[in-house]
This record gives sequence, structure tokens and C-alpha cells, in this order.
Amino acid sequence: MSASTDKTVTLPAEPPLVTGNLGFHDITQLVSYHTEKRPPSVWYMTMAVSSTLLCVLMLMIAYLVWNGVGVWGNNNPVGWGWPIVNFVFWVGIGHAGTLISAILFLFRQQWRTAINRSAEAMTLFAVICALLFPTIHVGRVWVIYWTLPLPNQMEMWPQFKSPLLWDVFAVSVYFMVSLIFWYVGLVPDLATLRDRARNAFRRRILGFFSLGWTGANRHWRNYEKTYLLLAALATPLVLSVHSVVSFDFAVSIIPGWHTTIFPPYFVAGAIFSGFAMVMTLLILARKIYGIQNIITMDHLEKMAIIILLTGTMVGFAYITEFFIAWYSQVEYEQYAFLNRATGPYAWAYWTMMSCNLLFPQFFWIKRLRRSIPFLFLTSIIVNIGMWFERFVITVTSLHRDFLPSSWDYFNPTIVDILTFAGSFGLFMTLFLIFLRYLPMVAMAEVKMVLPQSDPHYYDKHESEHEAN
Amino acid sequence: MISLPIVDGTPSDSVRKLWRSRPHLDQDPALVEQVSEEFIPGASEAPGGGNRRQFMQLLGASMAMAGFAACRKPVETIMPFSDRPEELIPGVPLHYATGMNFRGVTRPLLAKSYDGRPVKVEGNPDHPNASGSSGVFEQASLLQLYDPDRSQTILRTGSPIGWDDFLSLCQRFQTLTRRVAVLAAPDHSITRARLQAQLETQFPNTRWIDYRSEGDDAEALGIQMAHGQPLQPVYDFANADVIVSLDADFLGPHAKNGNWNTASFAQGRKLDGDQMSRLYVAESTYTATGTMADHRRRMRSGAITRLASRIATAMGVYSGENPDAFASGIARDLQTANGRCVVIAGETQPAEVHALCALMNYALGAVGTAVTLLDTGAPAQLPQSQSLPALVEEMQAGQIDLLLMLNVNPVYDAPPELNFQDAMGRVSDTVHVGLHVDETAQASTWHIPLTHYLESWGDGRSMDGTLTPVQPLIAPLYEDARSEIEILHALSSGQSARGYDLVRESWTSVLGEDDFETAWRRILHNGYLQDTGYPSVTAEPAFDAALPESDSGLELVIRLDPTILDGSFANNAWCQELPDPITKIVWDNVAVISPKTASDLGLVCEYSKGRYYADVITLTANGQEVELPIWILPGHADDTVSVTMGYGRQIATTRPERDTPFWDTDDATDIYARGALASGVGTNVAKLRNLLARPVSTGVQLTATGRKWRIVTTQDHGILDTDARPLIRMATMDEYRADPAFALEDEAPTPGSDVKTDFSDYPELWKNQHPAKSPAFRDSDYWQNQWGMVIDLNSCTGCNACIVACQAENNIQVVGKKEVGNGRELHWLRVDRYFLTEGGENLDADPQIVMQPMPCQHCENAPCESVCPVAATVHSPDGTNQMIYNRCIGTRYCANNCPYKVRRYNFYNWSKTIPETVQMAQNPNVSIRFRGVMEKCSFCVQRIRQTQKRAGLEDRPLHRDEVATACQQSCPADAITFGDLNDPESGVSRAMQNPRGYKLLAELNIKPRVSYLARVRNPNRELEPAESS
Repeated sequence: MSASTDKTVTLPAEPPLVTGNLGFHDITQLVSYHTEKRPPSVWYMTMAVSSTLLCVLMLMIAYLVWNGVGVWGNNNPVGWGWPIVNFVFWVGIGHAGTLISAILFLFRQQWRTAINRSAEAMTLFAVICALLFPTIHVGRVWVIYWTLPLPNQMEMWPQFKSPLLWDVFAVSVYFMVSLIFWYVGLVPDLATLRDRARNAFRRRILGFFSLGWTGANRHWRNYEKTYLLLAALATPLVLSVHSVVSFDFAVSIIPGWHTTIFPPYFVAGAIFSGFAMVMTLLILARKIYGIQNIITMDHLEKMAIIILLTGTMVGFAYITEFFIAWYSQVEYEQYAFLNRATGPYAWAYWTMMSCNLLFPQFFWIKRLRRSIPFLFLTSIIVNIGMWFERFVITVTSLHRDFLPSSWDYFNPTIVDILTFAGSFGLFMTLFLIFLRYLPMVAMAEVKMVLPQSDPHYYDKHESEHEAN
Repeated sequence: MISLPIVDGTPSDSVRKLWRSRPHLDQDPALVEQVSEEFIPGASEAPGGGNRRQFMQLLGASMAMAGFAACRKPVETIMPFSDRPEELIPGVPLHYATGMNFRGVTRPLLAKSYDGRPVKVEGNPDHPNASGSSGVFEQASLLQLYDPDRSQTILRTGSPIGWDDFLSLCQRFQTLTRRVAVLAAPDHSITRARLQAQLETQFPNTRWIDYRSEGDDAEALGIQMAHGQPLQPVYDFANADVIVSLDADFLGPHAKNGNWNTASFAQGRKLDGDQMSRLYVAESTYTATGTMADHRRRMRSGAITRLASRIATAMGVYSGENPDAFASGIARDLQTANGRCVVIAGETQPAEVHALCALMNYALGAVGTAVTLLDTGAPAQLPQSQSLPALVEEMQAGQIDLLLMLNVNPVYDAPPELNFQDAMGRVSDTVHVGLHVDETAQASTWHIPLTHYLESWGDGRSMDGTLTPVQPLIAPLYEDARSEIEILHALSSGQSARGYDLVRESWTSVLGEDDFETAWRRILHNGYLQDTGYPSVTAEPAFDAALPESDSGLELVIRLDPTILDGSFANNAWCQELPDPITKIVWDNVAVISPKTASDLGLVCEYSKGRYYADVITLTANGQEVELPIWILPGHADDTVSVTMGYGRQIATTRPERDTPFWDTDDATDIYARGALASGVGTNVAKLRNLLARPVSTGVQLTATGRKWRIVTTQDHGILDTDARPLIRMATMDEYRADPAFALEDEAPTPGSDVKTDFSDYPELWKNQHPAKSPAFRDSDYWQNQWGMVIDLNSCTGCNACIVACQAENNIQVVGKKEVGNGRELHWLRVDRYFLTEGGENLDADPQIVMQPMPCQHCENAPCESVCPVAATVHSPDGTNQMIYNRCIGTRYCANNCPYKVRRYNFYNWSKTIPETVQMAQNPNVSIRFRGVMEKCSFCVQRIRQTQKRAGLEDRPLHRDEVATACQQSCPADAITFGDLNDPESGVSRAMQNPRGYKLLAELNIKPRVSYLARVRNPNRELEPAESS
């Protein structure tokens, strides 16, 4: 009787988000420490590689602007090649950060605190890489500003029916909101760093950027409100940016592009690739900086679950496209998809399929979800797969469309390859600078989810406290 | 230099003079000085140099002047004509009638000149032998004029020398009895004939050979064989219901009368009623003519000889081989045509087959209807295969003192057995006259640059013999250049004379002394002299000799190239980049074989990642070897290897090579960067011929070298399955008669079209805001005309004339082999070629080839327009899709979204590197495109606007069909109709009503402004009963 009326449900005990029984000061020390000391030698080695790649990128861009778009492999049916593939790839990666900080924040997923700072930073840097590509891919880069609605004496105005223009707005708005969101989240931590600073110059700089934060109750209240509002503002953007990017394809009339499934499918793919990139970076960072207790195995496992979920979603979309092509009875559409799977780019298609749909299915196995080498491998494979997804969409649809007389094949040039490699240099250089100078974990937020932040914590753990 | 009166102290004559004394008036300098000075010299000047004030003034002025120097840019004055030449208005083109010698026949032309600079040639529309159309080579001849590698100076053993030196050579000759030999490109110029006679009078032992690089003229020899006299046949295919071609590519761009043949053939294919001519083609390779065939048989050229024998036997005019079903079917069809038929043999066939054709045509009653035999009055000539060896023998024996080579290149294309270059060494003076310092020029002691026909006076005879003047539009670009007649005159008289005087002199004998000037001016204006054609004869032929047997086994057929002819157009960028009509190969020549022959020999043409890597073979024939890549062409005859002449040239040029630093790709993208264009492109196959220089050789060997060569085509291979994509729609004559609108039968439903599905609820994106409905459009004057185009697939032969015409008109740059291989060619208009099979088992064996010219379709709902972020491609009120180059930032989104893929992108700065002379060939009315911008067919908007302007100035509306696009104007088949859709009576409106009309990809609801008229095949029911049901 009593058993049936007892409505109390005993939840299984949540595993602690921070392991190692770290206290507030430990967190501060663990995170801030890295911005204050000389970085480890691994940092220098990585930086050397990254900045070399960045130089390569600069040289490639100079070569491109001097000579023209002909230095790439683009040709007549394939007007968009690697640059657009890279653009969509980087925008996709730039999705995870804001998703983690905004959507997971709204859903009160507290495990996000350990990874949101670096994920957001990664977002910003990925979006910078993404913005680079559509800018340099135009034939006359010196008049790229014509895509902006700037009043001018020529009375020329952008053409608002073009999805490319929507892109310009969507991506730049996303970048700006993400930047503000990231910066607002940084303010309490910058203040912490300021307070620890030994050097007056450092104190001045950090003092300027921490906006006079004192940790007053009023500051915290305003901060929490702002953060919540920004999260609400950023949430629709997460969905809109990649939807708009997908319109570049979906709004056209080319078989393989002209499909309504693109917006949700692109968003799922973006989250998929974004999480994979976060995972790649954090597996390395937590090891190198010794913060395994803050970014725990549980965090990685949760990310693996999201990768499994979104990977399955994109896989579902791939199959749906085939079904719709058959169902539409449109000759050209059917051929476009058959050509993907069996044509000259079948290798790219099957790379994409196995990387994106099949490989993440291993995450059904818990042991693999918690295996660091496997997670690392998968995160890399997923990003390879997602790059190929964009390649398949962009290139295979274009290379054979309506009139067989114009069919051709796309071969990338060395400039294509080096530019793409160089964009990783840009990305990694920015990320390494971030690791060096800014707290890579949101200390203030992690402290909130510490068991110690429970007001009754010390009631329960009196003895421990004493011991400490 | 304008001379202005200068105040120099000396009184001008016109001014009234005061004088004091006679010596003063007579300007004795001593006295003048004395009387003009009041004081003695030096007395009135201040001592020393300048005074303080002067010094300060000079100082101040110098400072001020020094400042002025920075105030102004150097001035470049554009001066108007102080004496404007009559009728010349800057910016308004002038047209002059002229003519171009093409394989001995003058093609009448109308050349357009802007401010004294010829920029475009068209067919002369008034001339009885030209309907205003022009072919590939007339169009491309413009670029020959501006060829940067043209020879510019007279050379004597390679070093520059003056004209006077050549003249003194000629004068030395006059006094002695010397033997002169002349090799000249065939030409029926009356002035040249007169000078030839003059030369032969001066030097009685002159040997004159009209040298054809392709060897004997089998047709002329055959006719001579059958009729006993040299007659020149002209075919009128409009008067033929049944046409049989025995390996005759009479519709090919390189056919001697190709334009005329195409025009008259097309007339029979217009399907105005429900009758259409029927074309049988038996051929050894695939040609433009073969693509038009209703019945096509592919066979070795040796087998075609047997087919000729069979047909003639079936007709009962000859006793040869027993006819098979095909031959007797053709014979019966011919015989029921009541003389409205013709049998024509090609250049690959021996003279005997041509004689047999003459016999058949006569027996069929075709002479007088479809065939006209013209009596040129010329005496019978020895075939070149006999006269040339005889000449070489004399040269070797040292019996020739001077060899003059007029616009020929025997070192390159004479049969190697003759050892022509060696024989030239035995002649003390060899004079080469040509446009380039070519192989022969390099081996000659003298080279004189030849003028282009647009630079020199001349004349000639068009196809039926009508006298046609050739007048220049520009002074020779190079001072040293001389025309053929000027050189002939110099040699025969030792005197220099102007070409103009020489031509006038000849025409005086034609026109008479009285009122010569009026008549002469009228002829120059019209471009021809009426009623001067050769008389036609109807002589009865006789022929009963046996036809030559051909060996079985592999045969080699050497043809003229449909894009560069015999190599005379090899240094022409437009021609090199012009896709071969059938293979679509650019910048190369190949050994074409059938799929079966290839698999028998184990040869492959590998296709990998969009690139063709063909096996390179060693082709051995007549003891000579060349290496060539192969090409496998479905529909090509088995056991035959087809090659084309004109490649493998070595032209010397004085232009420096372009060399840029490693980070600049200009040297790689400039097609003119490394010497002459033609040098090193392809392989010379002329040397595979034996002494007879017959186009066909047997006993040929192909051996793989194991190497591969990259072949670049503008189009992929691929069979178009008829049931799939309805791009080319076609039916047989029976199907057409049953349902003339067959092309629309399986049309996918489109909103707005009157089909089964009701689309009233279907949302349309721009329904109410379509640009065409905006006031800005409706209020525009241009709204009155709505331009459209109709292309008749039933008469298009795919000859490529439209492509070159478009290139010349619209300043389309040439990108070179590598960049075409990267898919970056810039042709605004392309001719799509599809192989078509109808359910055959072996798809590769016997496909039909169909052609489809593809310009921008100027969609009303243009998908390119809506995706451009900067509105660089927009719709005009007159319904064309326009490209605004200045606005374009080069996102290439429009090209991606174009379902026809007609947009072309400037991947590099092509126009930056074009040589100065080639810049002169650019049309001043069309913008040169910078790198990074998109371009495409504009429906020749500059022509539309110019015509509208002219009509506006004349204060009248546009005449019906007054505007012609460049492609339409050149099309010999008249397959392109362009005009105003608002005028229900315009040619294009009427063509749009044609039941065969259909629009490509109409189901996308993009509303293209270009319609295609579906193709109809007219098979002989007797030969093809199964398919006619």
C-alpha cells in the first residue's frame, strides 16, 4: 500500500560533472594557470605548424588574386568547387559552439559548462575561415562590397532574390551574435584573471576587457539576464544560418540541389560536424593541459551520443533524397542521384556514406563511446565525411546536370588543396592564441555546477570541509 | 602637321608694304639692318647681361613654370579628320564587297570596316552564288589578316632585304633566256591568268602548276574522263529529291562549294509542305554530311567504290558488281525521282567513280536539274600527280632557274618521295610568297610576304564562274607585303606595278574602254559582274572502264581538316580552337578508327577523370611513319583510319616569347606566348602519301607505341538514349505526316502551357511581380520588340560557321588546349553533338549523330537572373537576358543555375595578353571582358541596338527581320531564324508556329526564348520497312 502511494521516484545518482573533488580555487588555478605561464612545448610545435599553414594560405590568396580564379580547378559545369565546399564545411563546424552554449543552456544541460567556452571560440574561428572562402571565391574580389547594401551614387543595390545575399547576412549576423555571446560569457573569467595578474600592464588590459566586473550581486544578476537573452537570440540563429546556407543549393534548379530537405538536413549535418570538431580539439586540449577532471569522460560520451544522433539523422536524409528522386519521377533528378552513387564520383559518395552514416553507429557500444582513441578517430572521420558530403552535393550535382553535352569532371589543383590546408592553419593559429591567452574553460560556470556550489553542501560534507 | 603662320619678323607677302628705297625692298640684309636700327649696334642695349629686374622676373617665371609642369598630364590629342573621307562617319561601319579565294573558287563577301579597320566578313547577299551566308573559313580569314606571326619582311636566305633587290633579280632575268616554274594555289582570277600568259610569253618554257596540297582533283579528272573535256560540275541539291553521296562530304565546311551545297541542300529539308529530300550516304568516316543522312552506311572507301559499281549496275548503265538490296533500293529510288536526283562522289574516290557518277547523273536525267556542267574553257591539264614529279625531275636536273611558289607550301605537304626540298636546292632562285615564314619559306632563297585578300586588289570567279572583284579594305599591314599579281607582274616584266592598276587593266578588256569608270564602280559596289558565269553544257558522258580494285585490310584516308583545312588556317587561333564538327577535338589531329578496329588492334582511348588519354600509334603507310594519337569514333567505318592534314606545322616567328615570373600565370595562359600557334600542334600526315598523293592508301600498319597522349575535346563521349532526356526530338517522315506536332507529344506538363494538367492553383514565384509586368518595362521603347530565335534541327549540319561568326562578332577570346581541357572554353555558341541509337544491341556500332546548336536561350523566367547577388544579369525590356560585365563580381552562381550551361566565365585575364594585331580584330561595339566576369550569348544586342539607332535616325520603325544575329547571318543552311516575336508576320513568329517546334527543358518553367524545330528522317520504306510502322 505504502509502496503504491509513494510518488517519490528515486533518480539514479547523476555522475558528478567535475571529478577529482575539485574545489573553487582548484578550478581557478587549473584554468587560469595556463594563461599565466609559458605554454607547453607542444603548444609551440603546434603553433609553428599552424602559422606556417597560415602563411601558405596568405600566399595562396595572393596568388589567386593576382592571377584569377583559374588557378583553381573550377570549370564550366562546375562553377563552384573546393572554396564553396570549404565554406559550407567551416560554417558547419561553426555550429556546435553556439548550439552548446545557447540551446543546451536553455535546456539546462549543465554538462555544457565544461566545453562551452572552447566550443564557442572554435565557432568563431570556424566562421572566420568560412567567411574567407566566399569572399575570395568571387572573380573580382576587390568589388566584393557590392554585395552589401551600401548607399552609393551609382544607385546600385544588391539583388535580394539571391540566396548568396541571404548568406552574407545570415553568416555575418551569426558571427556577430556569437562573438557577443562569447564575450559576455568571458567577462567574469576575465575579471578573475585580472585579479590574479601580477603585472600592471596585464592588469590594465584585462581590466579594460572585464568591464569593471567586481562580482557584485547586481553584476551577477545583469550578467545572468543578458546571458539568458543572448541565448534566446542565438538559438534561432543556430538553425537559420545553415538553413540559409542550404538555400544556396535548394533555391537553384539543378537536380541534386533543388530539394526541400536541405535546411533540416544541413542543420543536422552542421551539428554533427561541429561536435566532431569540438571533440577533436578537446581530447587533445584536456590531455595537454591536464584538465581531465573538468572535461571528463562523461562529457565526451555525451558528445558521442549527439554525434550518433545527428549522424543517423543525416544518414536518414541521404536515403530520403534517393526515395524522393525515385518518387518524383523526374528523369534528371533520378539520374543525379544514381550518378552520385554509381558515377565518376561514387568514391566520394561512398566515403561520405561510410564516414557519416556507418562509422558513428559504433557509438551504440558503450565501451567504444568511452574509449579515447576511438572517439578521437571517429571525430576525425566524421569531419572527413562531412567535408565529402559538401563535396558530393556541390560537385557531383554540377558536373552532370541537364544537357549531357556539357558534362565534365572537376579536378582540384594544388592551389585548391593548399588553400584548404591553409584554412586549417588560420583556424588552428587562432585557436592556439585563444588557448594561450584566454581561459579555455568557463570557470565561473563550472564553479556553479560544482557540488560545492550547493548551499547545503557543507552541511553534508562537514567533515570533508574540515579536512580541507 | 598643321603649319601655323609664325611671327618671324620677315614681312608676309600679303601685307601692304612701306619701303624707303629699292635696296630696302630687295631685302639687302646689310641695308635692312642699317635702316631698322636708329643707333649703331650695341648703343641701345644696357651694358652686361640681364639686369636685376630681369633676373628677378626670370627667377619668378622659372619657379612658376616649373610648377606648371606638374599641373597637366601629357596630352594625347584625338584629332578629327580635317578632311573627312566621303561617307566615313566615325563609329559607323562601312561595308565593301570583296571576295576570298577558297580552294580555287572565289567566295563573294561583304566586309565590314570600322574607321578603316576590317572587323567582320559576311557573305555578299547580292551575289548570285551567295545568300549572304559564309562558312568557317571566310569568318576565320579575318584573323588571318591580323595573325601576329605573319611574315613582315622580304627575306633573302633568311635575312631581311628590300623589294628593290627582288626587282633587280627580276630585271636580271628579263635579259636572259631562263626557265621559270611556278607553283600556285588554284585561283580563277582573270588578272592572274593574264599575268600568267604574260609570264609565259616572256619566258616561253615556263612550267605552271596549280598546286593543290590535297593532291589530284579526282572529280575534275573523272569528269574529264567521262566527257573528254574538263567540265566543272555544280550541284543544286534543292532540285534533288534523292541524293546519294559516295563518301562525298559535300556539306562539310571544307567542301569546295560547301556553303552553296549546304544552302541548296537545306532548301530541300525545310519541310514547308510534307515533302523532303532523301539523302543516302556511304562513307568511311563520320562527316557533317553523314549526320544529315536518312540512310547511312559506313564502309571502307574501297567498298564504296564497289557500292558505286553496284548502284550503276542496278540502274543498268554499267556492268559491274551484282547489286545487293541496298544498292538496288537506292537505284530504284533514284530512277523514280524523275531527274530530281543526284549521285555525287567524294575526294576519296578514284576518278573512275567520279566518271561513273557523271554517267549515272546523265542517265538519270539529273544534268540540267540537280547537276549543272560548266564549261570553263580551260584546256585539259595534266593531273598534278604527273606534272609535279616531272617538275621535280627538271629541278633535280638543274633545268629550272627560278621557282616561284605562290601561296603554297610544298615542303610541308608534297609527297615525301618527291624530295621536294632537296630539289629546291638545285634551283638557283626559289621564291616563296606566303603569309608566313613557313616550311617552304625557310627552305627558299627568297621569301616575300603575301598580302591578305583584305589588303590587296584582285579578282576571281565564284562557283558558277561569275566574275567577282576582290577589293582591299586596308592598306597592307606590312610594307613589304605584295600580292600574287604584283609579284607575277614584277617577274614577267621586271617592273613594279600596283595591284590596282593590274586589276583595272584586266577588267578594261572585260568592260571595254567606254564608260569604264562607271561600270567598274558599280562592280566594286555590287561585288560581281552579272551574267559572266561559265556556259553550261549537256554533253553525254561515256565510261565503261573497270573500277580500280582496292585491297582489303586496313586503309588510310587523308582528308582536309574541317577546321584548319590543309594547314593554311593552322596558325589561326579561332580555327585551332574550333571543335571538329564530329569528334569535337580541339588543338590536335588524331587517327580516327572505329570501336571494332580499336578492339581488334587492342587500342584504347582511356577516359579518366574527365580527361582522354589516347594510345599513341605509329602509322606506317607508303614507307613513311608518323606518330599520332588515336581516337575511337562510333559510326566510323571498320578497317579504316581517318586522319586530317594541316597539323605539325613549323612556322617561324619574330615575336619574342612571353616570360613572366613564377607567380604570374600570364605566360601559361597566353596562347601566343610560345612562338607561332601552329608550331608543334599535331602531326603532319601529308607525308604518308606516295607519289600519286592519293587520299587513300592501303597496306597500312598501326602499331602501338605504348605511350599516351592527352586529347582535349569540348564534349564528352556518351550515347543519348532516345527514350530518356527529350533533348533532341525526332521522328520519321511517316510519323511526322501522322502528327506534325510530334515533338510536343511527351512534353512534361508546364504551368501556362495548354496541357492536360490544370495549373491554375500552382503557385508561381513571380506571378504578379514578374519583371516583364513592371512599368519600367512596359514604358520602355524597347518593349515594342520581343526578340526570339528558332533553330531548325532538320537543316543544321553542324558545320561550325555560326561558332566562328559568333567569335568574330563578339570578341570571344581563345584559351588554348590546356584550358579547353580544363573546361574553360569561351564559345558563346556551341554545337552539341549527340550519338543516338534506337534500341540497338551494340550501342557503339552504328549510332546516328545529331547536332544541336546551343546559344543562350534567353529564358523569360531566367534562373541565372534570380541568383545573382549584385543584379549583374538582368532582363531587358525587349526580352533578352543581358549580362552587365561592369557589375559582375564573378560568383559563378548564374552559370551553376543555368540548365543549358551556356554561360562562360573568364577564369583568367584572356584579353590582357592578346597581341597588338589581334587587338585590331576586335569588334569595337562589344566590350572586352576582364577576368572574373561571366559572359554569354547576348543575341548580338549590339546589332539590335545599332539597327534600332539607324532606324531611329531615319525616323522609321524597324523593318521586318531587319536585325540579324551573327550566327544567323553566317548560317549557310539558314537554320537560324531570329526576329521580333511581337510582329506576327516576322520570320521568327512564323517559325514559332511551326508544328515541329519545341522548347528545350520547357518543363522547368523557365520559358526559353529559343525554339527548336524537331528533326525528321525520311527513310526509304523499301530499305527500312520495320521501322516505318
